[in-house]
Amino acid sequence: MSTDDVLQTFVAEARELLLGMEDSLLALERDPRDGEAISATFRAIHTIKGSAGLFSLDQLVAFAHVAETLLDLVRDGRVAVDGDLIALLLECSDYLGFLINQIAGEEVADAATQEARRPTLLARLQACIASSVAPSASQAESPRQAPPSAVPAAGEVADPVHNDAWHISLRFGPEVLKNGMDPASFLRYLGTLGEIAHITTLWQQMPAPEAMDAENCYLGFELDFRSEASREAIDSTFDFVRDDCRITLLPPRSSIDDYLKLIAEAPEGLERLGEILVASGALSQAELERALERQRQAAPPALGEMLIQEDGIPAPVVQAALEKQAKGRENRSAATRFIRVDAEKLEDLINQVGELVIAGASATLLSQRSGDTALIEAMAQVGRHVEEIRDRALSLRMVEIGESFNRFPRVVRDVSRELGKDIELVITGAETELDKTVVEKIGDPLMHLVRNSMDHGIESIEERLARGKPAQGRLSLHAYHESGSIVIEVADDGGGLKRDKILAKAMDRGLVAPGQALTDRDVFNLIFEPGFSTAEQVTNLSGRGVGMDVVRRNISALRGSIDIESQEGVGTTMRIRLPLTLAIIDGFLIQVADSAFVLPLDLVQECMELPDGERLQSRGQSSHYLDLRGEALPCLRLRNLLNLEGESSQRENVVIVQYGNRRAGLVVDRLLGEFQTVIKPLGQIFRHLRGFSGSTILGTGEVALILDVPTLVHDASGREARLLGESNAGQAIGSEQPA
Amino acid sequence: MAKTILIVDDSASLRQVVSIALKGAGYETLEACDGQDGLNKLKGQKVHLIISDVNMPVMDGITFVTELKKLPEHRFTPVIMLTTEAGDSMKQRGQAAGAKAWVVKPFQPAQMLTAVTKLVMP
Repeated sequence: MSTDDVLQTFVAEARELLLGMEDSLLALERDPRDGEAISATFRAIHTIKGSAGLFSLDQLVAFAHVAETLLDLVRDGRVAVDGDLIALLLECSDYLGFLINQIAGEEVADAATQEARRPTLLARLQACIASSVAPSASQAESPRQAPPSAVPAAGEVADPVHNDAWHISLRFGPEVLKNGMDPASFLRYLGTLGEIAHITTLWQQMPAPEAMDAENCYLGFELDFRSEASREAIDSTFDFVRDDCRITLLPPRSSIDDYLKLIAEAPEGLERLGEILVASGALSQAELERALERQRQAAPPALGEMLIQEDGIPAPVVQAALEKQAKGRENRSAATRFIRVDAEKLEDLINQVGELVIAGASATLLSQRSGDTALIEAMAQVGRHVEEIRDRALSLRMVEIGESFNRFPRVVRDVSRELGKDIELVITGAETELDKTVVEKIGDPLMHLVRNSMDHGIESIEERLARGKPAQGRLSLHAYHESGSIVIEVADDGGGLKRDKILAKAMDRGLVAPGQALTDRDVFNLIFEPGFSTAEQVTNLSGRGVGMDVVRRNISALRGSIDIESQEGVGTTMRIRLPLTLAIIDGFLIQVADSAFVLPLDLVQECMELPDGERLQSRGQSSHYLDLRGEALPCLRLRNLLNLEGESSQRENVVIVQYGNRRAGLVVDRLLGEFQTVIKPLGQIFRHLRGFSGSTILGTGEVALILDVPTLVHDASGREARLLGESNAGQAIGSEQPA
Repeated sequence: MAKTILIVDDSASLRQVVSIALKGAGYETLEACDGQDGLNKLKGQKVHLIISDVNMPVMDGITFVTELKKLPEHRFTPVIMLTTEAGDSMKQRGQAAGAKAWVVKPFQPAQMLTAVTKLVMP
C-alpha cells in the first residue's frame, strides 16, 4: 500500500469525521448541555489533527490545533456553548472540508475565497479561546447529574464561593445494596484519590422501623473533598452506581448558583441542606443567605425551570433520546469492525459475478438439452449457489440511504435561517438500503428538492400563522422499500402546488394547448419541464427555472421516476422511485414473435392467458382494455407496439405489471419464466429508445432487451387521459385510434 | 483476612493475568471456566466480588448472574461484567440481570484493579 492509498483513506476518514462533527454541532445547538456531542466534536477534530500530522499536512494541523484548543475549553465548560460558537465551529468544519478537498486533489472553484477565510476564522477562534473562564466553572458531564447553570460567557465565574474543595452530593438509591454495591466502598475508594475534608451522612430518608426494608439503602452524603485528581477521575468513582444514584459534583470555587441549584433539588428540604453546607464549610453563612435571597427573588421562573428540568420531561421523550444515544454509540463502535475496500474491487467482483450468472445460464441450458438428469440436478445446485453469491455480492454495495440524508440537517438549518423561516426536518427510514452508486447520484436531486420545498413549499411564518398552521414548518425525508424499488419522499406541510398558476404558466410557455384536459398529476408534472418556474421572486436558492428538469433527468438516468402529490394549502410530497440496484436483477423472460424480452420480476404481479374473445377483438391494435376481475386494465400488445413480425402463436398471455400505484397488462406470446438478468447498458445509439432500459445476454448467447416497465405503464395508463384531452381539444395527435 | 474474588472466564490466560494482578494487590482468588462452573465453585464458599465474562460455553455470564441473584447467600455479592466495546446492549442486559459494574475488554490489569477497588478494598 503506497502513501497515496493511505492518504485516500485519510481523506475518506476525515470527511466522515467532519460529517459526524456537523451532526454533533447540530445536536449541540438543540441542547447546549449535550456533553456527548461536545466530546464527539472534540474527538473528530482531535483525530483529524492526529492523522493529518502523520502526513505532515501542516496547514491542516495548525488550523485544527486552534480549533481543538477551543473545543477542549468548551469540553471543560470554560467556554460557553451558544449560537455564535456553533456557527463558528460549523464554518471551521466547512473550511477543514475545503482543505481536505484540496488534499484529495479536487478542483475547488473558489479556492481563493476559501483560503481568505482562514485568518478571520483563526482570529475568531483565538477570541473565543481568550474569553475562556478559569478552569473551575466546569459543566456537568453526565446526564444523571443536575443540569449546570448557564456558564458566564466571559471573565470570572459569577459569584464564586470561597472554598477550595470539591463538593460532592450523593444520594444512594434504594437498590444499591441489592446490586451488591456498598456505599462505604465508594467512599473508601474516593479516599485514595484525595482527602475527604468533611462528610455529613444524611439518613432523613429512612422510614420508621416498621416500614423500613433492611435490604434498601436510604443513605445520602454531602462531602467536601480536597484532591488534585481530575474531574473525570473523581466522577468515574461512581460509574457503577450512577444509574441508581443522584450524584452532583461541584468543583472548587463553583458559582454560588450551582450550590443554589443543589440546595433547591435536595430532597431533605432547602433549609436543612443549607445548614449542612454551612456546617461542613462548603458555604459560609453569608453565602448561604445570599443564595437564599436570590432564590426568593428569582423564585417563580427559576423554580419552574428546575421542575421542568427535573420532572417535567415526559418519560417517553427521555427514553427515546437515551435509546438513540445508545444506538449511536453502538454504531460507532461497530465501525471498528468494518473493512475499507476500494469501490473498484467491488465493481470488479460484481462484474465477475455477472459473467458467472451468464455462463451459468448457458451451462444450465446445455444441461437441459442433454437430458442427463444427474447433470441437470447438478447444474440446478450450482445455479442456486450462483444466485446466493449474486445476492451477497450485490448486498456488499448496499449502503443505508442515511448517508445521503445526513447532510440535510445542516442544509435545512442554514437555509431556513437564510430564508427567515422556522423549519423542522424529520428523517425516517434512514436505514433503508440501496446501491452505493445510486446513493451517490441521488444526493444532488434530493438537495434540489429539499431546497425547493423550503423556498417555495413552506410559507413564511406570518403566512403560516395567518392560515392557522403552526409557525414551524415541517419538512420530512422518508425512505422505504416497495416491490424492488426504493421510494424516497420529500414532503412539506407548506402551501402546496397551485394548479391554476402552473397551468396558466404552461399555456403561456406553450407547453399545453388551451382547452386541453389534464389530470392533477399531469399538471404537477409540468414543473419538471425545462424552463418552467412559477416563483414570483427569484431568490438565490431556487426559482431560476433550472433544476427541476435537471432533477427529473438525473432520476431518469438512474432508471427511476418522480411523482408529485400536492394539495393546496396542505402540502406537497415529491416521491422518487428508484430501482434497488443497477447491476443484476431477478428477471422474467417473455417471448414475442421471435424475440425474447426481460421484465424485472419484482414488478410482475400475475400472468394469465388472454381469453380467445379478447384476442380477436384486440388483434391489430397496440393497446386496448381488458376486464380483469371487474377492473379495466389498460393493455399493451407488444407485438404491435414494437412492430414485431413473425408467426403468431396459438395462445397469447397477459403479464400484469405494477409500478407505483398503476397497473398495466402486457400481451406477449410466451412466458419463459424467471431469469437472472445481468443488466448491460444500451449502446449510445439506443440510449434514447423509449421503452427499453437495458439489455442482457441469455444462456444461448442471444441478446434480450429489458423492457422499461415504468415507461410502458405510464404510456398505457396515460393513454386514456391523453385521448380524452385530444378529443376535447378537437385535435388528433397520435396515430392510434381509441379502442 | 484477605477478600476473595471469583474470576469466571473461559480463557485460562485471562484468568491467570487477572488473578496475578489481584493477588499482587492482596486479594485471594478463585477461578471458574464458565457460569455453571462458577456456581459450583460458589457452593459453601464466601466470596466478596465476582468478575465474570459474558460469552462463555455451557452457561453464559448473563444466565450466571441471573442464577446468582437467586442464591440467598450470594445475591448481594457485587459482580463486574467483562464486556466488549461493541457490546453495549450486552452491558445493558448484564445490568438488568443485576451486574452493575463492568470493565471493557481489552483491559490492562491496572484498570481491572481500579474497578475492583471501587467495590471492595483489599
